[in-house]
Amino acid sequence: MEILRVENLSFKYPTGKAPTLKELSFSVNEGEFVVLCGATGSGKSTLLRLLKRELAPLGEKSGSVCYGGRSLEQLDARTAASEIGFVMQRPEQQIAADKVWHELALGLENLGESQDVIRRRCAEMAGYFGIAPWFDRETSKLSGGQKQLLNLAAVMAMNPRVLILDEPTAQLDPIAASDFIGTLLKINRELSLTVIIAEHRLEELIPVCDRLIALDCGEIVADAPPREALPLLASRPALLRMMPAASRLSMALGLETKGEVPLTVREGKRMIEEHYTNKVRSLPAKTPVAPEVNALEFRDVWFRYSQKGEDILRGTSFHVKQGEFFCILGANGSGKTTALGAVAAINRIFSGKIKIFGKQLKDYKNGTLYQSCLAWLPQDPQTLFLRNTLREELKGAEAEAAMLGLDLVKYADTHPYDLSGGEQQLAALARVLSTKPKLLLLDEPTKGLDAASRERITDILRRLRDGGMTILAVTHDAEFAADAADRCALFFRGEIVSTGTPREFFAANSFYTTAANRMTRGHYDGIVTLPEAVEICRLNGEAKA
Amino acid sequence: MKTIADFNPIVQTLYFLSAALCSMLGMNPVMIVISLVGALLLYILRAEDEKPTGHLFTLLLFAVTALINPLFYHNGATVLLVINNNPITLEATLYGITAGAMIIAVLYHFRSFSKIMTSDRLMYVFGKLSGKFALTLSMTLRYIPLFITQMERVRAAQRTTGQYKDGSIADTVKSDLRVFSVMITWALENGIVTADSMEARGYGTGKRTSFALWRMRRRDVIFLLLILLLVGLQLPALLSGALTFTFYPNIRSLPTSPAAILAYISYGALVLTPSAIECIERAKWKYFVSKI
Amino acid sequence: MIVIKNASLRRIISRVVPYIAIPLIVAVGIFVFEEKRWAMVALGVAVCTVLLFLAGFDSGKTGSRRLILSAVLSALSVAGRFIPIFKPVTAITMIAGMWLGGEAGFLVGSMSALVSNIYFGHGPWTPFQMFAWGMIGLFSGYLSVPLRKSRIFLLIAGALAGGLYSMIMDIWTIMWYNGSMDLSLYAAAMVTALPHTIIYVLSNVIFLFILAGPIGEKLSRVKIKYGV
Repeated sequence: MEILRVENLSFKYPTGKAPTLKELSFSVNEGEFVVLCGATGSGKSTLLRLLKRELAPLGEKSGSVCYGGRSLEQLDARTAASEIGFVMQRPEQQIAADKVWHELALGLENLGESQDVIRRRCAEMAGYFGIAPWFDRETSKLSGGQKQLLNLAAVMAMNPRVLILDEPTAQLDPIAASDFIGTLLKINRELSLTVIIAEHRLEELIPVCDRLIALDCGEIVADAPPREALPLLASRPALLRMMPAASRLSMALGLETKGEVPLTVREGKRMIEEHYTNKVRSLPAKTPVAPEVNALEFRDVWFRYSQKGEDILRGTSFHVKQGEFFCILGANGSGKTTALGAVAAINRIFSGKIKIFGKQLKDYKNGTLYQSCLAWLPQDPQTLFLRNTLREELKGAEAEAAMLGLDLVKYADTHPYDLSGGEQQLAALARVLSTKPKLLLLDEPTKGLDAASRERITDILRRLRDGGMTILAVTHDAEFAADAADRCALFFRGEIVSTGTPREFFAANSFYTTAANRMTRGHYDGIVTLPEAVEICRLNGEAKA
Repeated sequence: MKTIADFNPIVQTLYFLSAALCSMLGMNPVMIVISLVGALLLYILRAEDEKPTGHLFTLLLFAVTALINPLFYHNGATVLLVINNNPITLEATLYGITAGAMIIAVLYHFRSFSKIMTSDRLMYVFGKLSGKFALTLSMTLRYIPLFITQMERVRAAQRTTGQYKDGSIADTVKSDLRVFSVMITWALENGIVTADSMEARGYGTGKRTSFALWRMRRRDVIFLLLILLLVGLQLPALLSGALTFTFYPNIRSLPTSPAAILAYISYGALVLTPSAIECIERAKWKYFVSKI
Repeated sequence: MIVIKNASLRRIISRVVPYIAIPLIVAVGIFVFEEKRWAMVALGVAVCTVLLFLAGFDSGKTGSRRLILSAVLSALSVAGRFIPIFKPVTAITMIAGMWLGGEAGFLVGSMSALVSNIYFGHGPWTPFQMFAWGMIGLFSGYLSVPLRKSRIFLLIAGALAGGLYSMIMDIWTIMWYNGSMDLSLYAAAMVTALPHTIIYVLSNVIFLFILAGPIGEKLSRVKIKYGV
């Protein structure tokens, strides 16, 4: 049964020159799980917001959106608010109440439901989503994943029939993100709830969705089940680069015409093993560039936040060589961000030694550490911005901005907060680079970025490294580390448990590794990135079937 | 256990307000002593792990408030001693002691109140007056910890760009102002997400209700009626001035009219009830545990 | 709950309460009760005002955005109190009144007082602080045009608001303690509280001097962005 119908929908923002959406038409059936994909600026957020009346942006709109056979504008306020649920990107900012139970009740309070109805619905939600153990907690004390789950439950409490999600996992770590997607799938399967979701990372979503709608420059370029939709994207690299690794591999090898496009690691592995021999098992090792001077030395460092607190760093030791790109991976709470803070002298260590370019951290007096020595790009670029326009913000950093490819002419009078996430990060990077650092610290540089921005930042960081800068990054993103790093390390309970070049590092891990490595494991050795996988497959040549 | 902390917040508020207010009206030493005993007893019963330094502060406050009156106020017939041509009188001293005792009694009532009235309880009480105010209160309380963490992040980020300096007080103030300015922008700009999420969940579609975890149970109603009764019994004395105690120029004997006696008894019953409930519940629990 | 449907009636009430009802309660308090009940009368005034405001606020239509802006400003002013030597409450309350109107000013002021006391402890001063800061916000709303136009006027008003706030709180403390107003006691209290008051007034003026402009700009920007 059709639940949502979009007909000839066009939209133009008051300030925009070209329309953001052009003559879109599609319909969604009840119980469908639809993934909407598109690069930043493709108009997917605008489209999602037009499907939710309360959040519809102002501008010139033509065409119609119908819910349950009636135009969205004709719905009464209660139906519009409760039957179409909407979850946004930032888990933290969506929460309005101070206590978990109150957040769950908020929507029902808005609808004027009685105490008994709210009490029952809250109890149901707490039970179904496993919120009961933290029902009485303060919302500020929850983890990112719990916050987003609470946002979902708070919307579900209103009994929606359609759930719209705009990049709900972008700010979550990989484990919380897949938990969240698991929960979504569960409510879709168990309650037959219609789900429309837009997301940057599609590795896990594509295999489970019923339909993929791809948007490019405000137009629908594909609208079909994923296996049929994927070949249609072959000529659109901007869309293709968000797709699961297995699909990208098959399309890079030109296999999409031969049989089904693989979506999961399992299917990808089968495809490789069916189509390619493994006479050559590994690629020649890259000659390591090894300047043996240490840029950063971290020796037996202990740290805790408060006297009675737990030790966060427990005798951590590692070193980063000059001109090296070093990535620290690890789960939430493993202490990796704390270690980064210790290097930046924000966290004062309890014992141990930190040497930067051969000089002890404590010998850098009067902020000399931050002058042409070390720079830190925080996770949230907004913590750096001080001014109202980008021109003022980047005064003295124009050269860096140009080097990073940030269009200062176009954005000169733009408020830094009005830039997209990727551009905000570039602006912040330009700011911190203007002190001409020799050591650059990065905290989760790829968090919340779309595929294009991710590639761009990876590229920029590689260029900086080639120019002689030492880079230390902390990340959850295994693909990024495999692509960019010279060496990787795994952090666990305040200690480094393994280090190595991406090849050694990821090939030795069984779980904490890249999709390309999982697909080639057993068939080839030491393949960690997608280009490497493509290369070795080509090298071996197709098996004669 | 069903102690004062578990009653309906409205009943709790009413109890603490009447306990504090009745001792504030009129400077009657008997009422104030009763108030102090009741307040201290409940506070000590409920705060077992409290460090003695907390009481030290009130003791000091008591000393200061008791001493300040005779030093500045020289009414009263009985001169105890003369300092710099200023007579220190017995009456002013006694007044000071009474006033000091009243202030710390009220403080202890409010300390227990502050501990028991968690933010969601306070929100419930305000929700009865104005749902919208309660909602704003909830949002404010939700933002404060968020802003404090973000402020730390901003400070760290500004420090590494050399923008945050804390060498001197002027530097610190300047740097903190800058951090605060960044915070204002951040908070205002990101608040729109909260607003969107509220609108998406139907804010403004009609009349709101205010949900609360608490109901008026039977024991809440009983306690409520008890409070009203006990306060009601004090009213004749409070309003007719039967409790008024004269300090100047000479101390008269304590008021002992029937209305006053009734007020002492009912006020005593009022402020001792929570402590009594606390003790009974504990005894019950001990008995219950011993049976297992 | 008092629901006032008629908007003009509501407006009249919002004018009548601060200018007529409150002085009336004070006058009644002075003539009907004995002198010693002053502190109670003052407390009564504070409670009544706050309650009347709550009733008026509840019945009015407030969009989610305006509500959020008020919550954000209240939270900022309380969070700012955790920074040493930093007392932004009065300044932010004034700014809220100036840019978002008297009602929002009252809301931000009284909310900041209430929430501060959740962290620092309630007392009989809670309603009084809610009243005092609320009034500062309300009057900043009434005086928004001159306050926005002249920086000097703003700074003078800021110093006055900061000073008056401390003074009024002191007067009430004395009345509570002494039963009536005693000038020598009050002078003593003023002198002991003087360093505190000076810091308070200074921080208020500095805060307004540096941040009133930028916050105003930021608020007008988000007002456009939010569509308030």
